[in-house]
Amino acid sequence: MTAMIEASHLSKQVSTSEGQLVILNDISLSIEAAEAVAIVGVSGSGKSTLLGLMAGLDSASSGDMMLDGHNLSTMDEEERARLRGRCVGFVFQSFQLLPSLTALENVMLPIELKNDSDARNKAARLLQRVGLESRVQHYPNQLSGGEQQRVAIARAFASEAKILFADEPTGNLDAATGARVIDLLFSLNEEFGTTLVLVTHDDRLAQRCSRMVRLVAGEITEDVRIDVGATADV
Amino acid sequence: MSESSRAVSASPLTLMRVALRLLWRDWRGGELRLLLLAMVMAVTSVSGIALFTDRLERALLQESATMLAADRVLSGRQQPPRAWLQEATQRGLATAEVQAFASMVFSDQGNLLVAAKAVSESYPLRGELRVADQPFGTAYTETGGPARGEVWVESRVLPSLGIDIGDTLYVGNAEFVVSRVLVQEPDRQQGGMMENAGPRVLMHLDDVPVTDIIQPGSRVTYRYLFAGQLEVLDVFAGWVQEQSAGDFRLRDVRDESQEVSEALARGESFLLLGSLFAVLLAGIAIALTARRYSERHFDYAAILKTLGCTSNQISAIYFGILLALLIIAVVVGSALGWLVHEGILLLLQSVIPVELPSASFTPFWLGALTAFICLFAFAMPPLLALKHTSPLRVLRKDLADAPLSTSLPYVFGMAGALVLILWYSQDLLISFFLVAAVAGVALVLSAMSYLLLRTGSAAGMRAGSAWMLAMSAVRRRRRQSVLQVLVFSLTIMSLLTLALLRTDLINDWQAQLPEDTPNHFMMNITDDQVAGMQSFLQDNNVAANPFYPMVSAGLLTVNDEPVRRPWGDDDEEQGRSTLTERAGSEEPDNESGLPDGEDGTEGADRPQRVENRQVTWTAQLPPDNDIVAGSWWQDSPRAGRVSVEQDYAERIGVNLGDELVFRVNEQEVTAVVDSMRTVRWDNMQPNFFFIFSPGTLDHLGATYLSTLLLQDQEKLLLNDLLRQFPTIVVLEVDALIEQIQSIIAQVSSAIELIAALVLIAGALVLLSCVNATLDERFRENAILRTLGAGRKLIMTSLLIEFAFIGLLAGVIATVGAELSLYYLQTEVFQQTFSLHYWVWIAGPVAGTVIIAALGVAATRKVVNTSPLAVLRQLSA
Repeated sequence: MTAMIEASHLSKQVSTSEGQLVILNDISLSIEAAEAVAIVGVSGSGKSTLLGLMAGLDSASSGDMMLDGHNLSTMDEEERARLRGRCVGFVFQSFQLLPSLTALENVMLPIELKNDSDARNKAARLLQRVGLESRVQHYPNQLSGGEQQRVAIARAFASEAKILFADEPTGNLDAATGARVIDLLFSLNEEFGTTLVLVTHDDRLAQRCSRMVRLVAGEITEDVRIDVGATADV
Repeated sequence: MSESSRAVSASPLTLMRVALRLLWRDWRGGELRLLLLAMVMAVTSVSGIALFTDRLERALLQESATMLAADRVLSGRQQPPRAWLQEATQRGLATAEVQAFASMVFSDQGNLLVAAKAVSESYPLRGELRVADQPFGTAYTETGGPARGEVWVESRVLPSLGIDIGDTLYVGNAEFVVSRVLVQEPDRQQGGMMENAGPRVLMHLDDVPVTDIIQPGSRVTYRYLFAGQLEVLDVFAGWVQEQSAGDFRLRDVRDESQEVSEALARGESFLLLGSLFAVLLAGIAIALTARRYSERHFDYAAILKTLGCTSNQISAIYFGILLALLIIAVVVGSALGWLVHEGILLLLQSVIPVELPSASFTPFWLGALTAFICLFAFAMPPLLALKHTSPLRVLRKDLADAPLSTSLPYVFGMAGALVLILWYSQDLLISFFLVAAVAGVALVLSAMSYLLLRTGSAAGMRAGSAWMLAMSAVRRRRRQSVLQVLVFSLTIMSLLTLALLRTDLINDWQAQLPEDTPNHFMMNITDDQVAGMQSFLQDNNVAANPFYPMVSAGLLTVNDEPVRRPWGDDDEEQGRSTLTERAGSEEPDNESGLPDGEDGTEGADRPQRVENRQVTWTAQLPPDNDIVAGSWWQDSPRAGRVSVEQDYAERIGVNLGDELVFRVNEQEVTAVVDSMRTVRWDNMQPNFFFIFSPGTLDHLGATYLSTLLLQDQEKLLLNDLLRQFPTIVVLEVDALIEQIQSIIAQVSSAIELIAALVLIAGALVLLSCVNATLDERFRENAILRTLGAGRKLIMTSLLIEFAFIGLLAGVIATVGAELSLYYLQTEVFQQTFSLHYWVWIAGPVAGTVIIAALGVAATRKVVNTSPLAVLRQLSA
């Protein structure tokens, strides 16, 4: 299998008034196509930063980051944006729907940006798939948190992305709703054969992935395959 | 081929569709309303004002053209080449020819000095000739002048010569039948004394040679009249100038009547300034609302980026939004502008007597172009900054909104303001100074408000809890507070400046031509007629005005040095030749509009030319004259003293105490400069460059000049007066005064309207400025309320905060308004500046009340929304 995501010796530092602060230190990690990887760790361990680097939302201080065969370190923001549009989908903790667009329009947006003339039908089918066919014309503020997250999931899959990044997708939801959203996410992931990178601090959620990477203070302390039930250093 | 280059990216059409969708939703959500409103406001005020001034100006030009009996006039002591008339005809212009001269006419019973005027068949090109069939009979309109062999005469010619309609009148060697009584001719006021020295006799141009009156050396004024399309006239005017190497110039009414042109020019300056203020204020409102809009769109941009939008595509989307806004604003604003100008016209129906010509398309272009400049200078920078939004913002909300803190928007805004000012004023230097002044004022104001905020809020911290809350809010948002004080004070300053300028201008005009402005000049009155005339006026219950002795004096030397030429060219002299000079000058220098060399006598070998001025002597300082140096001789008049008009003295290099030698009636008279005066030239009263002390010129044989106010129904008195004193000359300026008063009334109304438009623009700015801090206030007050602060406490603290900011803005605005008024009145409007004391109270009070009321009204919903709803919405 080929690596969909490959980080080698990735570091991220920021300057603060008290000097350089190391957020990620020498991270090397390879994720293969169709894998579902959970990145876990406590608050401030660098999980979201790593997700940002892997998705090309930010650039590393040093090291290389390959995404679907493209070296993100050598690309500028414009190229990274085009790459994101082509093969990356996102699900965020705070949903990040555009409040002035309806559920349908939010899902249509990435399809339209690809110049697909069938955006409306595709978006409607996806909303039906996530169980929101009766809510297509509602605005985000007319939807519950769980419903908003389901719209966000529909939008993430609308771009026919190869890789899906999910940042604490249940962080703003109660346990029952969160569980339903996760079920949906995993079933769609399986259906579309997407590579899933899930950032969470919830170990139980991480258990549903095929692999779990633990970050502590910006370094990988644990990288286990879950389906074999054993811990192995990679 | 790499995958990235194969990738299908969003087409412009797709981006536009996304842009329109966002625009539509944001519009429904109310986010764009203020932005669009500000833009519509800019377009409305510009196109409305431009439409109104465009049409009014055309109407005024048309109306005043009747004063010339043409659109343009070419006049001279020498006859301009006839070929020019043919050239004009070929260019599609209408032409007419006039010759004017003073002449004695005879009847079998007597003789009379008249102002003869010979006109070609097409005369008049503008306005109309009104005639009657008997003296003082009912007037009707004639389309052309008299036929050959006939003359038309003014009513008072008939009793003076003892003749009637149908009788014979002798002019030179020819005899004519008097066929009509001339009641009104459009260009009666044109020319100097030669043309107006006596009642009018109008004849056919082709009869002039038969009379044999015009001999070499005769004083004749030749006038060619032209009428037609403005553009053709302008081109033709240039052609004439080229042909004559600048010796002849086509003149319009602005050259002819200083009184009218000054009122028009000031009115136009004000309208221009007003619309400039309106646009700049709308510009500020646009900048503020666009900034808030873009702040609310950081998240949008970040999300769009995660979805694969490149920076350029984001720019394209927001560019599309601006473009759509522009189109809507131009369409709606132009329509509103049309309505506004129609509304003004409706309001002013009674004061605009003429039918207005239809508007040109230019005002709409002006409006659209203004909107374009405003949008791209004021709204574009914050929106384009959105493309710099980091996509990482979707993960980390705390990422600073860095893009907007750059100075780029300010640079763009200033450049936009500069372009607008330059465009409106058409003057690079003034534009530069205005922008520099605004920038300077802005800097000083920021510094001032920063300091005031610091001390003021520190004092507030020691007061009660509402005060403490308010002052800590001011302090916390110090940068925003400074911006608010800055915007508020600029807005209030603009409004104050315009309001004060408007009041001063209108007062000034009313003072210029009060109700009792005399409308007749009486000249050529001899010493022994003065007493008789005074008793005649008294018997007929007409108020007599002072009788000024008048004599023509030529200044020979200043302290034994030859005199410097006072004006650079004849135009300026024309501008300064007062009604007195125009009417009374026996030797009306340059009256023809020709340069001095035109009569072929001025050149290197010509002796120093002596310039004759009508001068007077009096013990009393005439009204509207102010002594600015030296002292008036009122209490101790000594012979051999002279008072000189300040401006004129400067130009000929005369100072207090200088010894001047004049030639008066072939005698030399010496006088020492005792004082300098300023003179109000536009008051339609006798005005003089030189006034001598009594006893200096008394023995040199003067005639007297006086003025008279006659109402319409009293005009017949003129005939009795002229019968009793046949040698005097009466110049009737009542029509001119009425015209000026009507123009001033129109311009005043227009000024009021512009002031109102600027007020609306100002209100928009205030509203957008208050709205700019709304989000933050929501958050803060929700937190305060969850912590237990009562509604009353929060409302009071809001009131105090806004009142404090309003007070600061009011004080700064008052200082700024007085400063800018000083500049405008002394440099642009040629008025005298004096401090407006009441504004020093009214400005700060108005600032406090208005800003407090507006602020509290706009932020009231902050306390009316439940804290939970606010917090939930903000965390979403």
